[in-house]
Amino acid sequence: MTTVLETEDLERQFGKLMAVDGVSVSIDSDDVTSIIGPNGAGKTTFYNLLSGRLDPTGGSVKLRPRDGTELVDVTGQTPYEINRLGLSRAFQINNVFEGLSVIDNLRVARISRTDRSLNLSDIARSDPELSEEAREIIEMVNLEGLEQTKCANLSHGDKRKVEVALALGTDPTVVLLDEPTAGMNATETERMVNLVEEINEQTDTTFVLTEHDMEVVLGISDRVLVLDNGALIADGTPDEVMADERVREAYLGGEL
Amino acid sequence: MVDPGLLIDQLITGISIGSTLFLIAVGLSLIFGVLEVLNFAHGALYMVGAYVVIVTINDFPGGFWVGVLLATLVVGLIGVVIEMGFLRRVYDREDLDQLLLTFAFVLIITDSVRNIFGSGSNVVDPPALLRFDLTLAEGISIPGYRAFVIVMSLVVMGAILLTLRVTNFGRIVRATSSDREMAGLLGINVPRLYTIVFFIGAALAGLGGALVTPLQSVTPELGNQVIINAFVVVVIGGLGSFTGAFVGAYLIGIMIAVGSLFTAGAGQLFPFVALIAVLLLRPEGLFGGVEA
Repeated sequence: MTTVLETEDLERQFGKLMAVDGVSVSIDSDDVTSIIGPNGAGKTTFYNLLSGRLDPTGGSVKLRPRDGTELVDVTGQTPYEINRLGLSRAFQINNVFEGLSVIDNLRVARISRTDRSLNLSDIARSDPELSEEAREIIEMVNLEGLEQTKCANLSHGDKRKVEVALALGTDPTVVLLDEPTAGMNATETERMVNLVEEINEQTDTTFVLTEHDMEVVLGISDRVLVLDNGALIADGTPDEVMADERVREAYLGGEL
Repeated sequence: MVDPGLLIDQLITGISIGSTLFLIAVGLSLIFGVLEVLNFAHGALYMVGAYVVIVTINDFPGGFWVGVLLATLVVGLIGVVIEMGFLRRVYDREDLDQLLLTFAFVLIITDSVRNIFGSGSNVVDPPALLRFDLTLAEGISIPGYRAFVIVMSLVVMGAILLTLRVTNFGRIVRATSSDREMAGLLGINVPRLYTIVFFIGAALAGLGGALVTPLQSVTPELGNQVIINAFVVVVIGGLGSFTGAFVGAYLIGIMIAVGSLFTAGAGQLFPFVALIAVLLLRPEGLFGGVEA
């Protein structure tokens, strides 16, 4: 068991609102961890603090770098710097480079990962290594055959796969997925769940996800964190969390 | 009826004007496409490029060609100073602040040049190498230097398209232009990329200004004269589209040259009529919405 991501008393205040209120968690590399909570519980803000999109007003974020053993304090660093250390993120809305083909999307991730961006002489069409790496990831997420398709022309489910592929494309230690099954039909949802489970087994990548669909959460997670009004109110296995009184009250009470 | 020989002459002049317009519009379009900044100072940078050539010819050994090279580099570096020192600080603010900042640079640069060099006009001869007439067909010829500028605009267009389509750097630029936040989250150093793109855009303005010196008298007002036409070009072509800037520049160049055949002043009228038509019928521009 190894801690790959840790927050201590993490806080973010917007005016008078405490969007994230003293959250301390440590994410273990063996687990698929889900973060749940009612709308407005602070899940997205929490993600934004982890990925560097927002600076916290208090507390700290620590990340285990790709090629290190010690946790490194990344509080206040830019998304670009945090990604370089090994954390990547996929969004709730489709966030892919729409005008680029599937394989070019993945090439961009690989170029960024391997620092080849400024090598003008490195003509990527004849850079077999880069294309090979991009293809491996495309196979991993089962998008074979769509390499040359422009992302704008993909189905919703396939776009989400490209997004997951992009997140994986920078060899992350931790991937944050934001509602990976949002807007998907039952078949697509099942495929996405299987995909995350497969990749989790095949690679060293640790998955953290937010999810609304409780069936997905209970099926996929080893560990569930519950946020309510910005605070962490429960933390444990899916069974433990479902049995928790406060969780039933705060979360399921409103929904069931 | 217009004399066909004259029409062909004006078509050639139009293509020549179009190629100089393209050299200024392409940098404007590049900077807008990637940084989403409408760079008003682009015309002023172009004018600085022209003055670098004049200074090199008058005061330093080396002559025209060294001047062109220096203009490209010097103006590119001025661009880096503007981007890193100032523009970078206002990306998060509203567009108006960025516009005002680049407009401030128009005033600062134009007045500085006027202060140093005076407001008189400067004339440069085409380099000796290109002082000949190229005969295209019987009775139709084009000055060698104009032909050279047309070729240069094609070379620049080809180099940009090739860089964007097949190099890693080009992929990163297209990706960042498509979604800068996603690019940052993927570990792309977006601020550095912005500086590089601004350098390239400004350097292209410097190159354009340098190459136009043998075709047009150079005054501190040069920038203000060309920036309007450059804006017309990029709006008609589609902001951020290189193909659009290319087609737009030649369309406008031909409209200016051929239009002036009909009545005096009509040359300057047609581009604006075209601008209004595009804004009404196809506000995204002829090639807007299409990725480069």
